[in-house]
Amino acid sequence: MSTFQSFKLGIRCSGGYFISTFLFGVMFGIAAASAGIEQWQSLLMSASVFSASAQFVSLEFWHSPLPLGTIALSVGLVSSRNILLGMSMTYHFDGHSLLRRIVWLFLLNDPGVVTALSLDKQVGRLGYVFGYGVSLSVSWVLSTWVGLNLAEWFAGAHLGSLNFAGPMVMATMMILFVKGSGANALPWITSGMASLILYELGSPNYLILLGSVSVGIVVAVVHERRKNA
Amino acid sequence: MLEQLIGSQEVLIAIAMMASIVYLSRVGGYLLGLQVRHIGGLRPVLEALPGCAFMAILVPAVRQGNPIEIIALLCVIVLMWKTNSVVLATTTGMAVLVLGGSALEMIRLL
Repeated sequence: MSTFQSFKLGIRCSGGYFISTFLFGVMFGIAAASAGIEQWQSLLMSASVFSASAQFVSLEFWHSPLPLGTIALSVGLVSSRNILLGMSMTYHFDGHSLLRRIVWLFLLNDPGVVTALSLDKQVGRLGYVFGYGVSLSVSWVLSTWVGLNLAEWFAGAHLGSLNFAGPMVMATMMILFVKGSGANALPWITSGMASLILYELGSPNYLILLGSVSVGIVVAVVHERRKNA
Repeated sequence: MLEQLIGSQEVLIAIAMMASIVYLSRVGGYLLGLQVRHIGGLRPVLEALPGCAFMAILVPAVRQGNPIEIIALLCVIVLMWKTNSVVLATTTGMAVLVLGGSALEMIRLL
């Protein structure tokens, strides 16, 4: 199957996730408007970042002056799973130029990668994942725009509460992690406990992030060593 | 509004920074995979990272949440756990936030 045919297959197979991405995008648009981000800035963010978790996380810190270091740290941490996604595709993007692989990886996405792994070997994985990504990015930007306009419609309602859409989306992702990964949940639990302690101690956001993630990593390393001992 | 104090240039820098970080994480993982895929024991630690980050952000946000937000979050967690439907869980959570927030506002006005 040619790369273009695989690309079209990726678009065709993305229907279900197109809808759920659309819902997240609407929520992001509403939450972004609620956080006071201008419409063109939100659309630019959705088009260039194309990451629900990173964008929702950044909203948590979107106040003046923008804490760029904290935003960078939190975006980097929640995006760390992309490293695994990229690594899982190591064997599947062969046969294309390195330049094409690097450019098309801009649209690397979770459902595209997961479904690509179960495809027939004749399907070009890079074309498929890229097609999937094009479809989801269209859904993401379009739905952000819809959400931004719905936010205006919701202006009379208690829109401030929708700031909490970010943590809600993170909670759904967390449950997907817990149920889907089959990984040990202890690092996540200890991370949560550490973040609560650091928060109660009045620590700044970046220290809460660094401290609690460090605790989680230490627990993960210790657990892995014990398992292999 | 407080948000209007954030300059456009500052916002553009933040967006460019976020886009760069996310893209580098995508392409970096692939390039890293080409180099170090033979090393064992690294995968479980990397797998734990996103969850740790989510918890580090989620827990303080919940700690600061009002009762409506906590109820909405509980609805999301229970529905997500039971049905595995992101659409159902988040729609319900959003509905609780909007309707509950409005109800809370009305109670305050009374």
